[in-house]
Order: sequence, then C-alpha cells, then structure tokens
Amino acid sequence: MLEFNQVHKAYATPQGPLEVLTAVDLELRPGGSLALMGESGSGKSTLLHLAAGLDLPDSGEVVVAGRSVSTLDEPDRARLRRETLGLVFQQFHLVPSLNVIDNLRLQARLAKRETPEWSAHLMERLGLAGLERRYPEQLSGGQQQRLAIGRALAPRPALLLADEPTGNLDETTAGEVLELLLDLVREAGSALLMVTHSLRVAAPLDRCLRLTHGRLEPPSGAEASHR
Amino acid sequence: MRPWLAVALLLLTLAGCGEETPSGEPAGFAGLGEAAGSFAQAGPDITLRFPEDHAAHPDYRIEWWYLTANLEDEHGEPLGLQWTLFRQALTPPDQQPEPTPWASDQLWMAHMAVSRGDTHRVAERFARSHSASDSSQAGVVAEPFAAWIDHWQLASHEETSDETSGEASKTDTFAELQLTAHQDDEHGGFGYDLTLTAEGPLVLHGEAGFSQKAADGQGSFYYSQPFWRIEGEVTLDGETRMVSGRGWLDREWSSQLLDERQQGWDWFSLHLESGHKLMAFQLRGGGEDGGNYRSGTWISPEGEPTALAPDAIGMTPLGTRRVAGREIPNRWRLEVPGAGLDLVVEAPHAERWMDTSVPYWEGEVVARDADSGEDKGIGYLEMTGY
Amino acid sequence: MLTALATLLSHYKRHPGQLAMLLLGLWVAGALWSGVQAINASARDSYARAEALFSTGLDRLEYRDGEPLTREDFVRLRRAGLPVSPLLEGTLEAPDGTELRVIGIDPFTLPGDSAFAAASSQGELTDFLTPPWQTRIAPDTLPALGVNAREAPGAEPRLAAGRLPPLVLSPMLPPGTLVMDIAAAAVLLDSGEQLSRLVTAPEVLERAPEGLVLTRAATLVSPGQLTESFHLNLTAMALLALVVGLFIVQAALGLALEQRLGMLRTLRALGVSGRGLVGLLALELVLLGVIGALAGIVSGVWLARVLLPDVAATLGSLYGADVAVTLNLPWHYWFGGLGVTLGGLLLAGSGVLWRAARLSVLGLGQAQAWRAGFYRQLRGMSLAGGGVAAVGLVLWAWIVRQPPGEGLLAGFGLIAALLLASALLLPPTIALILAGLGQLVRRRPLGQWALADLQLQLPQLALAMMALLIALSANLGVSSMVGGFRLTFLDWLDQRLVADYYLRPAPEQFDAVQSWLAERPEVAELLPTRHAEATLLEIESPDGLRVPQLPVGLYGITPGEMLIPSWPLLSTQAGRDAAWQSFAAGEAFVNEQLAIDQNLAPGDRLTLTAPSGRETLTIAAIYPDYGNTRGEVLLATPQLAERFAATPSSIGIVLTLGADEVGLRDALRQRFELGSDALVDQREVKRVSVEIFERTFTITRALSVLTLAVAALALLASLLAQARERRRQLAPLWALGVPRARLVTVQLAQLGGMALAVGALAVPLGSLLALGLVAVINVAAFGWRLPLHVFPGDIGLTLTTAGAVALLAAALPAARLWRTPPRALLAEEGGT
Repeated sequence: MLEFNQVHKAYATPQGPLEVLTAVDLELRPGGSLALMGESGSGKSTLLHLAAGLDLPDSGEVVVAGRSVSTLDEPDRARLRRETLGLVFQQFHLVPSLNVIDNLRLQARLAKRETPEWSAHLMERLGLAGLERRYPEQLSGGQQQRLAIGRALAPRPALLLADEPTGNLDETTAGEVLELLLDLVREAGSALLMVTHSLRVAAPLDRCLRLTHGRLEPPSGAEASHR
Repeated sequence: MRPWLAVALLLLTLAGCGEETPSGEPAGFAGLGEAAGSFAQAGPDITLRFPEDHAAHPDYRIEWWYLTANLEDEHGEPLGLQWTLFRQALTPPDQQPEPTPWASDQLWMAHMAVSRGDTHRVAERFARSHSASDSSQAGVVAEPFAAWIDHWQLASHEETSDETSGEASKTDTFAELQLTAHQDDEHGGFGYDLTLTAEGPLVLHGEAGFSQKAADGQGSFYYSQPFWRIEGEVTLDGETRMVSGRGWLDREWSSQLLDERQQGWDWFSLHLESGHKLMAFQLRGGGEDGGNYRSGTWISPEGEPTALAPDAIGMTPLGTRRVAGREIPNRWRLEVPGAGLDLVVEAPHAERWMDTSVPYWEGEVVARDADSGEDKGIGYLEMTGY
Repeated sequence: MLTALATLLSHYKRHPGQLAMLLLGLWVAGALWSGVQAINASARDSYARAEALFSTGLDRLEYRDGEPLTREDFVRLRRAGLPVSPLLEGTLEAPDGTELRVIGIDPFTLPGDSAFAAASSQGELTDFLTPPWQTRIAPDTLPALGVNAREAPGAEPRLAAGRLPPLVLSPMLPPGTLVMDIAAAAVLLDSGEQLSRLVTAPEVLERAPEGLVLTRAATLVSPGQLTESFHLNLTAMALLALVVGLFIVQAALGLALEQRLGMLRTLRALGVSGRGLVGLLALELVLLGVIGALAGIVSGVWLARVLLPDVAATLGSLYGADVAVTLNLPWHYWFGGLGVTLGGLLLAGSGVLWRAARLSVLGLGQAQAWRAGFYRQLRGMSLAGGGVAAVGLVLWAWIVRQPPGEGLLAGFGLIAALLLASALLLPPTIALILAGLGQLVRRRPLGQWALADLQLQLPQLALAMMALLIALSANLGVSSMVGGFRLTFLDWLDQRLVADYYLRPAPEQFDAVQSWLAERPEVAELLPTRHAEATLLEIESPDGLRVPQLPVGLYGITPGEMLIPSWPLLSTQAGRDAAWQSFAAGEAFVNEQLAIDQNLAPGDRLTLTAPSGRETLTIAAIYPDYGNTRGEVLLATPQLAERFAATPSSIGIVLTLGADEVGLRDALRQRFELGSDALVDQREVKRVSVEIFERTFTITRALSVLTLAVAALALLASLLAQARERRRQLAPLWALGVPRARLVTVQLAQLGGMALAVGALAVPLGSLLALGLVAVINVAAFGWRLPLHVFPGDIGLTLTTAGAVALLAAALPAARLWRTPPRALLAEEGGT
C-alpha cells in the first residue's frame, strides 16, 4: 500500500541544509496500521506529507498504491490524494463555509465516490446525526475531529493518513475519538498511517516505529513491552 | 466758512479715509492745512470783482458755495435747510492733465440737508470736471450765475429778474436765484424748490474780502450774501410744504485755509431780530500760543460790515449732547461786547449730524439774551472736528 | 500607554501592506475630495470677485439703435437727475496673448460700495483720478503681463496699445481684469468720448429714458448662480470618490482589528483599560488620518492645478464666467479638507472602535458568533437599504410636485439615496443569489464549495463590491447622460445653424449690408435676426391668468426655405406646418426653458411690454434651446422689428451651391470695412460649440473614471488583505486533492462571477441614474430635459469593466497562490 525506499529529505535553512529524513525505509500493507512516533521536529510530519504527495523526496522513492509519487505530476498527485488517500489533521481543517454534512461528503464527492449509505452510516457512527445543518464552528472540538475523520473516510480511501488526530483533544475525548477512528478504518478496509507522540495512542495499532533525528528505528523497549 | 468740511471731505475721500497722505501726517483738519504749492494764494492785496468772482477759481485749491436757510411753513413750524457745492482742485495749475475725454482736474462734491423737528435728511454727490471743458456734470459759471451738480442747482432766476426790487441791479443775475435739489431715499424723498431774493448787498469779510484764518496770516477770500428772502416749497419724507424765511450764502476760496495745527472749528451765522447779522467763528488751536483763533463780522441791517478782531469775540460751550456717538456742544455763550451782544445760542434739535463722507454737525440755532432769555434771533451753527 | 501604543502600531510593522492600504485609501479619498474642493473654492473665489465688481449687479442702459453712448449723454442724463454712471469696457491683448478686460470707471458716480472698495483698496483716490493714473489689478492677473508680484506695485507694463498706468494690487478684482479711471481707459482704448454703457443701481430707474434700452441686472444672471449646478455636480462626484476611498479605509481598519484581537485581549489582560484601549485606537486613527489626509490634500491641490485650466476654460466658454487658472485657496479650505477626510475616517473607523470597546477579555464565543453576526449584518443592511430607498421615494414624490427648475439639491439627494440604497442592498442580494445558486449545484462539490466559500468571503468583500457597484453605476449613468447629451446637442446644432455664414454688421450698416447681400449671386437666402428685451406681464392659459413679471429675451428669426425644415420643435398646437404658418403670421414660439419654467403650452397667450405699451402673442410651438439659461420668445424678424422695435443682431447667409465663398467674404469686407470678427463661419461655430461641450464633460468623465479606479483599488486592497487567510482556507482543499490550477481557476471564477453580477446590477442602476440625471438634475439645473439614450456599447463596457476590474484585482493574489510552493501552503497551514 505504502512504501518508502531510502527516502531522503532536507530543507534549506539559513544555517545550511537541514536533513529531516535520512534513508527511510518503510512498508505498510493494505489494511495494515502503523504508528509513527517521535519527538517534535523528528520529521514525522514531513514523512506524512511525503506519503500524501504533498511534498516530494530529495532522493529515494515513495510508492503509494503501487505508483511512485515522484513520477506523478501535480494534478495526478492531487488525484491520488482525492481518490486513494484520506487525511486527518491535528487542526481538523474543516471547510468553514460548508455545513457538517457537506463537509463530510466533500472529499467523496470530489473523488466522485460518494455512497449515501456509507455517509449516513458514518454520520451515525460519528455521533453527528442530527447535526447535519450545523457549521463547523458550531461543533465542539471532539465533534469537529470526528467530522474530519468522517470526511477522510467518506470516499473509503485505501490509505488513511492521520497527523496527531487527537493532539488537540482532552484525554477522554481523545480515547473515544481514537477508538472510533480505528473501528471505522477497519470498517472501511483502509490502511492507516498515524503520526503521534503518544504511546497510548500508538498502542492499538499493528506496528509502531520511532523516528529519531530523521532515522527510522524500531521501538524502544518500553514501547515493545507495551505491545 | 463751514466749508472746510467740504474740503475735509474731499481730501479725506481722496486720501482713502485718511490712511495715508504723501506728506505723512494729515495737516490740519482733513488736510486743510496743506501747503499751497503752485496754487494761487489768497492775500489782502487782491480786490474782488463781481460777477466774475461768483464763478469757480480753479487756480485755488478749494472753494465753496454754501447756503443755509431758516424757514417756516404755513403753520409757523420751523424748517432748516442746507445746500453746498464744494470744489477741490485735483492737481496744481501747472500739472493739469491734457484735456482728453474724461480727464479731470477738478473734483466736485455737494451736500444737501433738510431738517424739521427731529427729522434730518442728508444727501451727498460727487462729480469731476476739467476746467478746459465747457459741458460738465458739475460746475459754476458767473453770467448768468449757475452752480450745479447733476440736477441739483443754484441758478439765476431769469424769468423774474425784471421784477426784482431792492438794491441789486437789474443786470445782476446773482440777485435772484432759484435753488432746486431733490433726492430719492427710503423715506419718500426730500428736496426743495425755492426762490432766493437778495434784500441786501454782498458782504465782504475781513480785509475787503480777505479773511485771516490763523494768527500767522493764513486765510481765504470770503464774502457772503446774508440777506436772502426765501420762498418756495420744501419736500420732506414725500410731504411738500410751502415755506418762507431767510437764507445766508457763503462764498469762500483759498489754497491754504488752515494753520497746520488747527483741528476743527465752530462757526455761527445769525439773523438777529434787530436786522443785524452776525458771523463769528473760532478755529480751535490756531491762535497765538496754540489757543483758539476767533474772527467774525458784525453786519448792520444795511449791509455795512464791521470786522471783529479775535479778542472782540467770546465763545464758551455751555453744555453738550451726545450725538452720533460724540459729545457735541449744543449750547454756547456768544459774546460780542462791541455790539452789546451777550447771547446764549442753542440748537433746539441736537440731531443734526451730517453723516457724509466726512461727517460734521450743521444745524439751526436760536439765539436768546443771556440775561433775560428773550429771543434775539435765529441762525445756523456748524461744528467740525468733534 | 506609550508602550501600549507602540505595541498596537507594531502590527503595521509586521503587516506593512495593511498600513499601505489604509494610507492609500485615505490618500485617494482625500486627494479626489480636496482636489475638487480646491477647484470649487478657487472658482467661487473668482465668482465672488466678479460679483463684487461694478459691472455685475447693476442695471445697464444702451441706445436702442445700438449707437454708442457718449460723455454728452452721460452729462445730459445726470443733469436730468438720473443716477447713471459711465462705464467703458474693452479688451487689450497681453504680451502672452491673453485677452485682458479693461474697465474704466468713474468712482464718483458708480453706485454702491463695491466700487469704492474695489477702486480704493489702497493709496489715494487722487492718484487713481489723475495722471499717470493707476491700474487696479488682481495678483493672479500679473503673470499675463509678465510681471512678478514683488515688482508689480508701480510697474508700468507696456502693451501694444500703450503703457498701462502704474499697477496697484487689488486682490478683490476678478482675474484678467484691469480697472482704472475712465479717463485712463479712454486713452488706452482710444475710445474718445464714447462709452460702453451707462449703469445704475438695480431697480432705481423705473423705465429707460427715451431712445435707450434698460437691461435689468436681474436678467444678467451672475456667474455664481449659473455655475452652481456645475459645482454641485463636481462636489457630488468628489463625495462619491471620498465614500469609495473610505470603503478601502474601512476594510483595512476592520482587517487590522481582526488580526489584532488577540493582541488587544492580551493588552487588556495586562491591565490596559477598555477605555484606554479605545482611546489608543482612536489616537492611532487620528495619526494615520492626519498623515493620509495631508498627503491627500497635497495631491488634491496638485490634481486641482492640473484640472483647473480645463475647468476654467469650460466655465468661461459655457457661462462666460472668468475663473482664475491659478489656484486661489482660502485658509478655510485647508482645514475643511483635513476636517472632511478626518471626519470620514472617524466615521469609517467608528465601527472598529465600537467593536474594540465591546471586546471581551476572554474572547469566548467570538468564533461561534460570527455567522449569526453576519446574518444580523445582512438583515441590518437590508433594513437600512429599504429605509434609504424609502427616503429616495419620498424625495422623488416631492420633486415631482416641485415647479420645474427647482429641487436641484433634492435631485442630487435622490440620486445619492438611489446609490446608497443599492449599495446597502447589494450584499443581501448577493447572499441570496449565492444561496440560490448553491441549491443548483448541490451535485458539484467544488462548485458548491466555491459558492459557500464566496458567501463566507462576503463580509470582507461586501464593502469593495458596494464601492464597485457605485462606481460602475455612476460611470454608466454619467456616460449615458454625456453620450445622450452629445447626440442631442449635435443634432440641435445641425438644426439651428443652417446658414453657412453669420454676419454681425454694425447697427447703422445693417440695412445697407442686407440689401447689398440680397443682390449677390452667391447668396441663396438671407436669414436676418433681431433681438430685444421685454418683460412678460401676463400669461393667459386655459388654467387662467397669471402675472409673472418676468424678463425675457425676444429673438427674431427669418422663417424661410432653409430654416423651416430644420428648426426643431418640441410641441405644436396643430402640427409643424400650421405652426410655421402661424409663426410667419405673427404668432410666437417659446423655448423649452420658458415653457417649463412658466408651465406654458402651445395656444397660451403671452402679454409682453413693448415700446407701444404692450403686445399680446399666441404661442404656436415650443422649441428646444440647449445651453441657454434664459427664457426666450421667438418671433419672425419683421414682426419683432415692427412690434418691439428690436435692434438688428445678425444676418445668416445661405450660399448657393458652389458659390465663391472667398470672393464674397472679400467683397463684403472691402465694401463695408467689417471687423475681423463680424463674419463668422458656421463650421467654426460648430467646432467651437462641440469643443466647449467636450470640455464641459472632460472633468465629469475624468472623475468618474477616477472613481472607478478607486473602486478597483478597494477591491484589490480587500483581496490582498485577506489573501493570507484565503490561502489558509485553500490549503486543506489542496490537501484533499484539488489541484492548485483548479483552485486558482475557482478563485478567479468566484470573483469574476461576483463582479459580473455586480456589473449586471449596475446596468439597471446606471440607467436609472442616467434617467435621474437627464430628467431630474438637468431640468432642475438648466430648465430643459434630455431624451434618455441607452448605449449598448456602454453597458457592454460596464460589464467588461466590472469583470476586468475583478480579475485584475484577483490576479495578484491568484498569482501569489500559483507561485507559492505547496510546502509553504502547508507551512502556513501548520502555522496557525
């Protein structure tokens, strides 16, 4: 589903090039789930952006659904995101001009893959039923993130990329949202790559990797033992 | 001699309200003390000639024809009137402009006033002329006599001159005059249409017509016709009345009238019940040591003048009234011991302010004996510089 | 407090664009407003000076037969007791070619105080009256003489006619005018004993003396009155520009506040009181205001300098009003300009201050409240718009009931109400349209998003769109009016000027010239005209008898083969042919101005003063008389000559085909020693008329284009202001898989579509505006109505302009979006 082969990524800074990812190798099978952990600035978000085709590697190869992202042009990468990927951000990034139901269906419609039953199911499961006509800013933080998850899953993406999806939520809500996310990913049959810095969040996933100074390492003992 | 104000007016007007004159400080009241320059000079050595001297003397700086009259209507109610034509040379004789159309060397100003009770109506007019031009908006000619500005005029009454009685000769066009002047105003207009008949001779003041005006010898030519009998119509505020009474005409011309220090004057002309006439004036500030300079003429009923020396006249203000924002002495003690006169001269109506370009006070007065209070006569008083 | 102020201002250091936008708005608004006000102030100063001059406001006397008056006449009339004063007028050419008006006066007889005031501003009257005399001159006339102000007093510039008397400065005098004693003027103008005219104080003479014509001052309309509508027009345009400029300011201020809400809360939390904060914001406003307004005034004065010669030329040729071509600004102008700009700024900023005053320290509920707030705002706008529209209706109802020629101000009020109501109703209308369209594109997610997003942008864009609507409508309205006026006017010129040449011989030559011409083979037809003045005593109409006591001009024309078919008539009693037959038989035509003013219709009977006493005329028809300001009665020339003893005026010469024009002209000049200006070529008249016309509207056009430019700036400013915010909105969409190219396209489509909608709304509004201009303003200002012309080209241009303006304004933000690398989008996205 997702493959990183010897991916390097550096950013230009006033102090010279900053190596963010160094020789990253990674593989995620369809339907599988992977937690990516690391400190702030360890390169987690960059890795996620590369996986989403939002950014391109300096060298190495990112393969999504069998296609090398570097070989795709912008419109094709956009299409890849539209049709194959779902994205959940820490800041939700709902579209304020659209109401709840239209936000939920937005990506599915953009991808021309909307199934009303699935959307209705998602609304139900996400606890948003009855709030269809509300606007994002009229929802609580937990509801907003659930809506964001729903939007990402509405087209049943092959791969869901989630960036600290519970980072902005309190602990109880985070737990509920996470559980829901995992359930729905399973229902949708998507693979999941989730960036988090929380062990508790990473725990339920199939695998867990840690990014340290741009290098991917197996999890430390504590993480392994938790598993 | 009220006339100075005339000049005053002219000069003030000319000087743009006296802001600046070329010589700096205004000399005398309204510039009447300005030096004569190349103008002809009045002096005792010149003999007056008539009727020539009734006409204008453009070689002299200033000149006037000044008539006042004390009249009564059919009901015996008193009226006063004034008509004055002033002439002022714009340039000295040696600097006269070419007589191109409109060029002028003479400036004319006329005042008229009609007074009755508290009513006092005043008008003024201006005009220009060139002494080389014969048709003008204003002017004075001797034979037959005519003095005019616009339609205001004092002119020989030719139609009736044949019937004239008295001392004036049949050929004297000055002996019977017609005075016509009318002015429209917001009160309905005023004016007069009068016949003036001389009942006595011309009177020459001072030294055969040379009247000294200051201790240092400045002066003017000055003669009067104080014996006018007047009949006709006076219109006031649109209402016309038949009137009759007595009039006094002054003629004066000069190139330097005042001493530089003189700032104003008080001038009396009285018709006394005895048939005598009295002219007396004081120039404030022109006498010896800066005192007042006085002069006058005592005139017998036959017209015989006796010149009065400065110390032969006493003039004392007795009371003032507030008129047009100024304190005006409206009651005077006038003493001429030589003529046995001790008079209180009073203006029954103080509101006789002439609100013209250069303002002054000019109005009718009544003379009473200072002791007995008995009526002695009527006349006119002019006061300037207040 | 200083720290707090510095903190507030630090925002602009981070966002210099916002500061630039604020200052730009103030600058543009201030510049246009104060520029026009400078023109107005300068022109009014000229009028005031002209009106203070003796030649206006006085009744005048001239010989009925056109013979010149002389000094003899003056003396004769004075001696008869008439308070007349001689006036000698002529022109001299200055070294630089400027025509200077020389006025010779007699200060002793000139009525009124104005004479002396103007004649003896300084120095002695003696110097004025005696050689070498004096030339009173306004300082702004000096350049024409090539004299600088310092050397001017006492200078004696030499002209072709001779040396001028020594100059004395007299700022009260109108520009281009030399006043001197009549004696000096007579020498310079070599006029001998002759006079130009005699004048008297108004209404002093009941009737003219035998042989003379009395023209009342009341019939000589003062330039101030005449040009009032012109200046009102300018002021209205300037006000429009000011309002549009303030829209920019309002947008910038709103944004600056929005972005500083956090900072304000922090300052409150740190102990700055709410009142103190509002005070600081007000102080900031004033600081910015003073800078912007001063810059505006400086540029305004510059703008006025550039425009003034055109304005002056227009006023001069259109109304005969002398306006100085150099600016002459009274002190209050400067304060006025500053005051209006600052006042406008505070008005625009009051909303911001109000919001700042109500700022909650914790900022709770703010995010949730905006949508409700926006709907409240829309409701408020609808209500206010409805209210203003109602006011407009009331005004309109009132104007309809007014007598013609009145209600100019109310007319402008009506137009202002129309514009304001439309502007206020615009955002609710757009919101409705967007909601409706949203329903239509439910199936198209991007379209749906674009519409919903546009609705979200509406609060930020509303002001700019309102500005655009106003500017577009004004532009369309003005160009429709000008275009319509132009068509009508050119037609009318063609109809009125039928002869090839117009000849204006001296009155004593008139008959001789006419008979000589009648014999010439080149001449096909002669159209002699005459002119007289009369007072309209009575009007007899089916409604009854009225006694207007109105001075009117009487013109005589010669109805002939050339004239009859082309002379335009607006309404007749029994058809064109019948009207001309009646006309030849002695009935009258009246111009539209008189007809509207006195509510006349064909068939009504007029009684006029005449030398014989009174004459009664029946109105056969009403004719258009564009450009004239006075009521006129038209009669056949022979009738006019006979019944009103009218003076000959001119002879129209219609040539035969292929006639030898040059030969005729030369023969005519040789035979009659005609002055160079006695013979006028019709083509020349038309050319000059059209030129005058074009100039009149140059300014109006220039201002309406400037206003449009300001509106475009407002839109651009609004878009730039929210560009960052926009990118933040777009980033997630991009992340969701919408390609950047489509995002840019959608952006442009959004704005272009909105602008087109605004343009489409501007079309009916502009037409309504044009209707108001020709049917209300024009009638009130000039007394005649113009037919309303609709120009499809103008409408197309309006729509194109709207789209172009929006696309231009959107292009810069769009280009930025296009150039921004995706990573930067994400960085911005992440940087919340």
